[in-house]
Amino acid sequence: MLIEDLGGNILGTIPLGDIVLYLNPLHLFLFVTILLFTALISISRTETQVEAMFGSLDENKVAVGLKEFKQRRFLAIICGIATAGAMITGDLFNFTLFMALIGIVNIGIVSAVKQVDVLNSAYQYGLIAMMCGLPLFGGAAIILAATGTLSLFELASIPANPMMIFGALVMLVGVAGESGIAPFFASKAEMFRTPGSPFILIIHLSSLFIIVRFVEILLTIL
Amino acid sequence: MPKIAKLWNKLANPKNIPRLFAVILGLLLIVGFIIPMGLNTDQIYIRPAPQSQMDAGLAIAPYDRGGEVLVSPGVTEAQYPENSKNLGWINSYMTPIAELLKALSPYFGTSICASPGGLIDEILYYTRGFDTILESSILMMAFIIASWLAINFTIDRKEERDIKEDVKRAIASSDRIANEVEESNRKAREKQAKKEFR
Amino acid sequence: MVASVIPQFVPAFYSSMYTTALYGGLIVAFIGLIGIAMEKRDIQILILTDLVGLAMLIVVAAVGTDLSEALILPGLVVELAEIMAISEILISREMRKVDEGTSFTPMPLKIDMEIMTTAPNFIALILIAYGVFLSGFTGGAVAGGGIVIYVLSRKVRGLPIFVLDGVGAISGISWCLWIIGFIFFFLLPQYWLLSLFLAALGLLLKVASKIGLIGILMREEYGRK
Repeated sequence: MLIEDLGGNILGTIPLGDIVLYLNPLHLFLFVTILLFTALISISRTETQVEAMFGSLDENKVAVGLKEFKQRRFLAIICGIATAGAMITGDLFNFTLFMALIGIVNIGIVSAVKQVDVLNSAYQYGLIAMMCGLPLFGGAAIILAATGTLSLFELASIPANPMMIFGALVMLVGVAGESGIAPFFASKAEMFRTPGSPFILIIHLSSLFIIVRFVEILLTIL
Repeated sequence: MPKIAKLWNKLANPKNIPRLFAVILGLLLIVGFIIPMGLNTDQIYIRPAPQSQMDAGLAIAPYDRGGEVLVSPGVTEAQYPENSKNLGWINSYMTPIAELLKALSPYFGTSICASPGGLIDEILYYTRGFDTILESSILMMAFIIASWLAINFTIDRKEERDIKEDVKRAIASSDRIANEVEESNRKAREKQAKKEFR
Repeated sequence: MVASVIPQFVPAFYSSMYTTALYGGLIVAFIGLIGIAMEKRDIQILILTDLVGLAMLIVVAAVGTDLSEALILPGLVVELAEIMAISEILISREMRKVDEGTSFTPMPLKIDMEIMTTAPNFIALILIAYGVFLSGFTGGAVAGGGIVIYVLSRKVRGLPIFVLDGVGAISGISWCLWIIGFIFFFLLPQYWLLSLFLAALGLLLKVASKIGLIGILMREEYGRK
């Protein structure tokens, strides 16, 4: 499918050598939204979870320390910028690298917590993220072998063949695992069970945006 | 119906997710064997057949792409040549030390190519430079995460102990029965956690 | 001249080997993935994921063009970075479970090798010089290895270690150098040589100081004992 059919007319391109970032109304909307959200969380403070204690009137506050807060805020901002970049990239391999960056930053945001459960699910998610290297980069390499190009502009005009579809499927499994959709949600969902709400939320938002963008890429290249 | 319920419960346990993912990915890869695979011969950045440059006796054997240092550009088949104005110049560039090595012996091709200039640098820094930026950012993030954990927790654990003492004091001052209930609750939860994660 | 250097189409050798190489990669990946699905211990799974990463390198390399050679580097680095961060999380998790009594380096790190006492400075110097010559990521790894050997050898011989504060800052600044080089490539194309050296040396410094950081972390652990 041609690029113009999906997201509207191309508003402009940012040529960086072989990697050409391009903007159309859909991308622009996603890009601006995620950047606005990143700006919002960069100036916000974390929540404090309050648990009522059993049998007394006291309450137990679970707050985030200052050091941990700074680390998390930094990683959350990087995650937002990486997601914004993935929204406008026009190169398949570049997209997978953005995906990998988001994955590792997601692990980093929760890695500073003290709960063993959360650390455990972060570790399990990390294992998936490591395995996802194969479907993401391997799928891109299979598409490269089948078509001889990685640029989305070129791929859009090449008719799909079985090998390209296989490569795209492999990539789809990679994106599904790394962003934690459908059957692979548990490890990522368990990572949220820790205080620090706005930074934790960007994990969720980035997967959502990545899925939307990847579906668009799939429709473009197939 | 109870079987489906069991399945959902298994899916909710983070420990099972990497296994499930591995199985699904492995099965998908096996499907690859029944799909006709073949290399499209119309690629970008093509390299000559193996050993052909060695046989031809070129000094920087597997990485010779033509051109002269600061005189003429080498051959680089980029996807969008119009976006890279100096295409091929980095390809043909060599540092003085690399040129010295080139004159010395024909067996240093790989080392010379890894020094500033040369074909791989042209792809990594120029035509696909954005990939390398992301790649080095990924490495930086990994180091930030790992060193933060190492410095703040695994090495310096003094703070952690202080926090624990504070918690102890708070628990002691609160109602004793609530304390006991809390404690037994905690133990039960720990037991369950052990069952789940061991 | 041009036609003789680069063929018009992919040589027959590569296209005939592609299917074999790809199938090889798929089989390696399958073995690794089934291993992950069957294995119970966490540390073994972590090691097996590296096998899957290796299969990814095979699949990328199978294309057999200069582009695929350049794409291997990001793939390799991503795997390296992730295994480092995740193993650190594993260590952290296990320590929180056990609470105390574990060391930063779980195995007893006793480096009783002759190489550490005979000529470590010379080897470190050679490694750093070669790393500077190579430049870029490879050179950074080699030079960083040299720094680690230097730090280790001084520790083994019981000498005080030259404390270098702000190694991380060097890494960050050199990252900025590389970004500036990259922007110059497109904004000021006439300064491509300057950009090339900014990029190559920025990446070299960045990676070398990062790997040197591992040595510094080790020193802190030694100092604690």
